[in-house]
Amino acid sequence: MDIYLPIAEMTVPVQSILALGLAVGFLSGVFGVGGGFLATPFLIFMGVPPAVAVGTQGAQLVAASVAGVLGHWRRGNVDFRMGGVMLAGGALGSMAGIGIFHLLRHFGQIDLAIAVLYVVLLGSIGSMMLAESMASLMKKPSSQENTPLAARGRFLRRLPLQMRFPRSKLYVSALVPAGIGFIGGLLVSIMGIGGGFLLVPAMIYILGMPTLLVAGTSLFQIMLTGALSTLMHAQMNQTVDFVLAAVLILGGVVGAQMGVLVSRRIRGAQARIALAMLVLIVSIQLAGQLLVRPLEIYTAVSP
Amino acid sequence: MMFVRGLVVLLILLFALLESFPVRAAQDDLTVGLAADRVDISTGFSGAKIVLFGVKSKPGDLAVVVSGPEREMRVRRKESVGGLWINRRAMMFHSVPVYYDYALSRSESDIAPLDVRRENRIGLNALGFDPETNEDPDDIGKFQEGLIRSQQIAGLYPLAPKSIVFLNDGFFRASLDVPSNVPTGEYTIRTFLIRDGRIAEMRAIPLRIAQVGLSARIYLFAHENGLLYGLSTILLAIMAGFGAHIFLRRD
Repeated sequence: MDIYLPIAEMTVPVQSILALGLAVGFLSGVFGVGGGFLATPFLIFMGVPPAVAVGTQGAQLVAASVAGVLGHWRRGNVDFRMGGVMLAGGALGSMAGIGIFHLLRHFGQIDLAIAVLYVVLLGSIGSMMLAESMASLMKKPSSQENTPLAARGRFLRRLPLQMRFPRSKLYVSALVPAGIGFIGGLLVSIMGIGGGFLLVPAMIYILGMPTLLVAGTSLFQIMLTGALSTLMHAQMNQTVDFVLAAVLILGGVVGAQMGVLVSRRIRGAQARIALAMLVLIVSIQLAGQLLVRPLEIYTAVSP
Repeated sequence: MMFVRGLVVLLILLFALLESFPVRAAQDDLTVGLAADRVDISTGFSGAKIVLFGVKSKPGDLAVVVSGPEREMRVRRKESVGGLWINRRAMMFHSVPVYYDYALSRSESDIAPLDVRRENRIGLNALGFDPETNEDPDDIGKFQEGLIRSQQIAGLYPLAPKSIVFLNDGFFRASLDVPSNVPTGEYTIRTFLIRDGRIAEMRAIPLRIAQVGLSARIYLFAHENGLLYGLSTILLAIMAGFGAHIFLRRD
């Protein structure tokens, strides 16, 4: 069955978008990652304009994180004060990201930027995750057991705007969580990904937040930054496709439930190896696009 | 069966004639009409067919050209920079038809000399686009060919001309396919009667391709009130997420 996307102005097979939504939801159910890293390149590969793919992805992020945030909130695992400060940075990051997106699109380098960011970010995260989970599978004790960065203490304490975060039991400059949120906002509005895989380690190792609060707080930040990015893309670029979002979200909601069921049965390290492989495959595929001579070197767009 | 089909075709033609050329129809050498003067894009749209019927009363070859909506197009060329394939040079062209297709009754080179085809933009190699800035003619040619190939890959330009079907001596039909990613806007269908390599007659009919129904409403909403549209999309996402949360809760 085909469905016409009114904003992307093209027809797509509804089952492939549903399947993509399912896969993304499944990943979020099993691993708690947004799965945007899979969705954006796949949509672009299907011929959806990058601007529409990224603009619409924000809505999918909101849907995927709402359930998680509510769950963590009920268990009291969200530091709203910290999340709020991160969101302030995230809002600035989204705005900056949309500006950068505009500029890159104008110069015809948006595909390049998306591909390079993916390859660099996903490639390094994927390899680190693979190495880490291989090591833990071989029962070697992990070397980095929540040790805050050595430089952290001195440098971060000198920053202005020191703020108390009672829930996380932290006294730290507001610029640190805001900076982390800023990066998250950039990622959402340029790449259409929540950036949980970057936010979570940053919150643990740089900020030193209690691990228990990290998942809920990062989801809280991703949910609101995703919503903000969707609003801005809709208002400024008209690149949010409601029909595409609806089908993706439908698949995502169902996939997330399947993922949660499966996650209760599989072992952590093996699951993480599978995820790391998937991340690496996506980044190798994108690296290929950059390195191999394209079949057609000319592309035409109506600006 | 053939009779019924012929009758239907005739009725359509008659209708088209009355519709488009109420006065001049009688004395013309070439009369044409569309089976449908608009293409509607709705939620299930997966492409359409433009069917043109016509009658010619004088001998000659025929060419049917569909083109539309004209926009500025920027063509970029990738070059290898340190092993990475990156868009480097770009050229902007004015009033390029985003969609172009054509049907001929005879092969391209036999139907008319190149200068006549150029002047009337009949055929892909007769399309000439105006670049925005002064460029080297060699480069213009390369970028223009790149533009055409890029549109061919997108399915918006044809690989070869379609043929015109003659139902009898003077009565003909041309059908052209419109893909699902066709841009919306105003199109023109020009039909040429060509004799001895010269244009004897030309008829132009407008065709409108537009979204209708739900997709049209969504498109309008998104473009007229982006903020509210964005909010509704977010609301949908929150509701879906909330529904999942209620459903998933096991306690």
